[in-house]
Amino acid sequence: MRLSYNVLKQYVDLHDITPKMLADKITACGLEVEGLEEMAYATNLVVGYVEECVDHPNSDHLHICQVNVGTDVRQIVCGAPNVAKGQKVIVALPGCKLRGGDIKEGVVRGEESKGMICSLSELGVDPKQLTEQQLAGIEVLGDDAVVGDTNVLGYLSLDDTILDVGLTPNRNDCLAMWAMAKEVGAILNREVTLPDYHVEVEESKTNLVIKSETEKCPTFLGKVINHVEIKESPKWIKDALKGAGIKAINNVVDISNLVMLETGQPLHFYDLAKIPAKEITVKQGLHEAYTALDGVEYNITEDDIMITTEGKAIGIAGIMGGDDSKIDEESKGIIIEAAIFDHVCIRNSARNFNLNTEAAQHFIKGIDPLACVKAVERSVQLLVEYASASGIEETVVCGSLKEASKEVSVTLSKVNSVLGTTFTMEEACDPLARLGFEPKVDGDVITCTIPSYRTDISIAEDLVEEVIRIQGFDHIVSTLPLMPTTQGNLAPNGRTTRMIKKMLNGFGYSEIISYSLVSKKHIDNSVMPLSGAVELANPASDERRYFRTSIMPSMLDTVAFNTARSNDNFGLFEVAVVYNEKGEPQDRLALALTPTTVRSKWQAITTNNDFYVMKGQIYALLEELGFDEKRVTIKANDVDTTTFHPSQSAALYLGKDLLGVFGKVHPAKAKEYDIDACMIGEFNLSVIFNAKASKVKFVPICKYPSSSYDLALLVDLDVKAGDIVNIVRKNAGKILKDVEVFDVYKGKGVPEGQQSIAVSMVFQSEERTLTDKDINPVVEKIVNALRNQLKAVLREA
Amino acid sequence: MSIKWDEIKQDVLAQIAGANTKEEIDKLKVDILGKKGLIAGFMSQMKTLSPEEKREFGQKANELKKEFEAVFASKMEEIAQKAMEEQMAKDAIDITLPGVKASKGTLHPLTIVQQEIEDIFESMGYTVWYGPEVELDLYNFERANIPQGHPARDMQDTFYIDVERLLRTHTTAIQMRTLEALHDKLPIKVVCPGKVYRRDDDDATHSHQFVQIEGLVVAENIHMSDLKGSLELLARHMFGPTREIRLRPSYFQFTEPSVEIDVTCHICGGKGCNVCKGTGWIEILGGGMVHPNVLEMAGIDSTKYTGFAFGVGVERVAMLKYGIDDIRNFYANDIQFLKPFTRFE
Repeated sequence: MRLSYNVLKQYVDLHDITPKMLADKITACGLEVEGLEEMAYATNLVVGYVEECVDHPNSDHLHICQVNVGTDVRQIVCGAPNVAKGQKVIVALPGCKLRGGDIKEGVVRGEESKGMICSLSELGVDPKQLTEQQLAGIEVLGDDAVVGDTNVLGYLSLDDTILDVGLTPNRNDCLAMWAMAKEVGAILNREVTLPDYHVEVEESKTNLVIKSETEKCPTFLGKVINHVEIKESPKWIKDALKGAGIKAINNVVDISNLVMLETGQPLHFYDLAKIPAKEITVKQGLHEAYTALDGVEYNITEDDIMITTEGKAIGIAGIMGGDDSKIDEESKGIIIEAAIFDHVCIRNSARNFNLNTEAAQHFIKGIDPLACVKAVERSVQLLVEYASASGIEETVVCGSLKEASKEVSVTLSKVNSVLGTTFTMEEACDPLARLGFEPKVDGDVITCTIPSYRTDISIAEDLVEEVIRIQGFDHIVSTLPLMPTTQGNLAPNGRTTRMIKKMLNGFGYSEIISYSLVSKKHIDNSVMPLSGAVELANPASDERRYFRTSIMPSMLDTVAFNTARSNDNFGLFEVAVVYNEKGEPQDRLALALTPTTVRSKWQAITTNNDFYVMKGQIYALLEELGFDEKRVTIKANDVDTTTFHPSQSAALYLGKDLLGVFGKVHPAKAKEYDIDACMIGEFNLSVIFNAKASKVKFVPICKYPSSSYDLALLVDLDVKAGDIVNIVRKNAGKILKDVEVFDVYKGKGVPEGQQSIAVSMVFQSEERTLTDKDINPVVEKIVNALRNQLKAVLREA
Repeated sequence: MSIKWDEIKQDVLAQIAGANTKEEIDKLKVDILGKKGLIAGFMSQMKTLSPEEKREFGQKANELKKEFEAVFASKMEEIAQKAMEEQMAKDAIDITLPGVKASKGTLHPLTIVQQEIEDIFESMGYTVWYGPEVELDLYNFERANIPQGHPARDMQDTFYIDVERLLRTHTTAIQMRTLEALHDKLPIKVVCPGKVYRRDDDDATHSHQFVQIEGLVVAENIHMSDLKGSLELLARHMFGPTREIRLRPSYFQFTEPSVEIDVTCHICGGKGCNVCKGTGWIEILGGGMVHPNVLEMAGIDSTKYTGFAFGVGVERVAMLKYGIDDIRNFYANDIQFLKPFTRFE
């Protein structure tokens, strides 16, 4: 909220407290001042009188003025179109400092100029506060301005500082100036003097009828004032509105706004003549187009609360009145509305209509339930004084006026126990008394009577907060919880995730984090997509409409982004949770690796990152996590052949569960993203988290030597090395310690349609040294099996 | 027979000393010790001697042979040593040429900060809890003492999925799940990190997705001073051992009293600079004493147990710690940006 230092000064003695000091003090007590704004900034100003004004001979828009500034008459060249002889104006004398720069004596197109005649915007006044006329030219002062007066900002009421206070949602009571004054008084421990608004007027009987047909309007006060005189507001009212950033219109409208600022209660004044039935009904359920004060037509739906008369809408409750019942120059009498509307309804309506009016803000943030009574009284007082109000009828109360003051208790031991402090009873009670809570002590118990505007205070802990807030948090020392020792733990899978990340770092992959919210296109391009995607009801854009079901589309975006920036030679990984339509999670890992890694330029050492590089990394990673090769099955990729190169990718299974897909990016995908033929992969980490890792086992070192035996086999091209290895394993029995492919060859010397695959086997026994007699029959069995199952032929050595 | 043993010995030793190559030594060795060599010549003369002379002569010849053998061996070693040194000198490399690059990737800076904070609290006996990003209104708002229609819901613009579900707007949702799960297994000591989402437009200081870490302790006799002490430890670990913290009143729906926690500026040490906007303090954390309603809704007796909770924005900590000026950097994933984050500090 905008807090005017000058307005506050009327209620609390601030003679020794600068705006900056005030800002620091209230910030420390929870009313955070986010900025200090001087209404205007200028030095060395004086009121001048334009004695002569002629056109500049060398310019089509400049004027040469002779200006009396009290001490002398000086020539000033002025470019404003509205400057004229006989005006009282603001003169910035040489040496004047403005936000736009300093004023110096000078010569303008051959004519001497000793100062500047100023507009308000040149004084740094917020342009939003100014009329178009004021923005277009210099400010012409009233007849009451005294030539030679140097306190020009004071004369203009621009010598104010506005504190921009960011109120927390529990302290919206401070939106009311009077409540804010009390708060400041409590913080500074100073007396607060608010205007006495009780006025003795004779009130006549009324025939005004107020009805509320909705529970969303529990209270509605109405009052008829038959005669008012519309005119300009007095200066002090205009100044108070100016400080709050509200434009002055006329005395009656200004009073409704001023009272809202003072009490926090939004008011609406209707033109009495335009509601001839003298009947007002609050209802919901209307369904019509309605033109409000701002001339805009709004589509009213059944949830919007409407003010009606004779069944016809005359206002959107709590947000904006109607054009056809508004106060204007011709208004002779008024009806005052001071009501309470449901804050949720007002918020929804304000949001739907995009109408964030001052009144709506007050309702949304919550108001003092008794403020309506105060507001009506204060309005009457001001209308009598400044609008010659008469013919005042009694107030009609529709609904209940809750007696809102309540008692809340807390014990001193609770205060000290929650805070960890050692306050005495006096120290605990002092802040409560300053806040007007009237603390009463009975033994350890402090009982407070809470003013109606402090709707945020309802339990003992709230009082604890008030005590420490006003006493100051530096009363709290640093301690550590005194409690039984507990064992610290990472989250389930937290340690495994960290292992995966560190291992991938070791392989050269860097971690990325991308956005979870993605477009429809990303969802369509998901790898191993989950069943349906979570779609937001209120997305900010179509680009971020869905929660991703796969990391890969974002990963490809990131690869493309880096490729476009000429970053090359990289590996990337991301670990993230994806969700299906039902909101069920799955932990995922995505990888991307550019086709080469240059390891040493001068030695020309470059790793070609092909399928086998990534495969090796994944198997090493799985082994590190407790899943050796034997638990992993690799199959042809039938999972995703649009993201991946169909014949250079694979699906990986842990036991029976699909763990992931990896391999070369599909050439069409690479072209679409304008990236190199990277290796990519996406894995379901939930499979790993749910699987049981193998135990680490000690294997005794064998005492007997091993012997190796190599086989070179001619097989058809569609025979896989893995098939050969599996057959060897199955047929070799216990003495096979290891089998490994060591050569794959096709071309010269190998018949067309065939390839040569060579495997090396290692045999060893834990009982004795093996001889040819042990090994040969095993080899023979293996060769037979390979021949029978794969039509493999032993190659001549 | 009279042989001038000493002269012979000196002569041979001089020859050996004069030899420079392995070839010369080999040749000399044959001449002296070979089958037809000098020593063998002496031995052949022995048969003409009397037994008396034979013994003395044999002894002398043998002594000479042994000495020559030893000298030859040491000379050979000397030559081999020299040859090796020459070879090594020839094999000299330019040690200033770059090494072969070892594979090494980096962790994302947000992960580094998150893990550091997790580790600090794990060392103090906290357990790390995760929770769902697609969350129920129940845990994100209701249980956090933010009922339907409450103005506090305006503070955070929420991505809704339907009436019940949303993307969590704060990791408080994890705390609420923790409270429910552990309400009969007190004390509770947890930290809850995770991604959260707000319906903000992305700019230099706002991101619709960011990472929070919240902490929660519930036990008997927990005071606000315990919150201060715990966060002081965190601040000192993250920003240096001389950091001080201060509490300022604030408002969160799920804590009462609530505080903002400022840390003395790690750039200027509290004197005032442009990072702390001249105040000497940087706002980093929010927290407070767990609201009794929150405890009661989870089934915990708020008259017996109290607790504190706090929250910190991981991006904010990382930006302050590393001097990063635009939050969007974290999610653009430019390798040039990621490169420097090579380690924990």
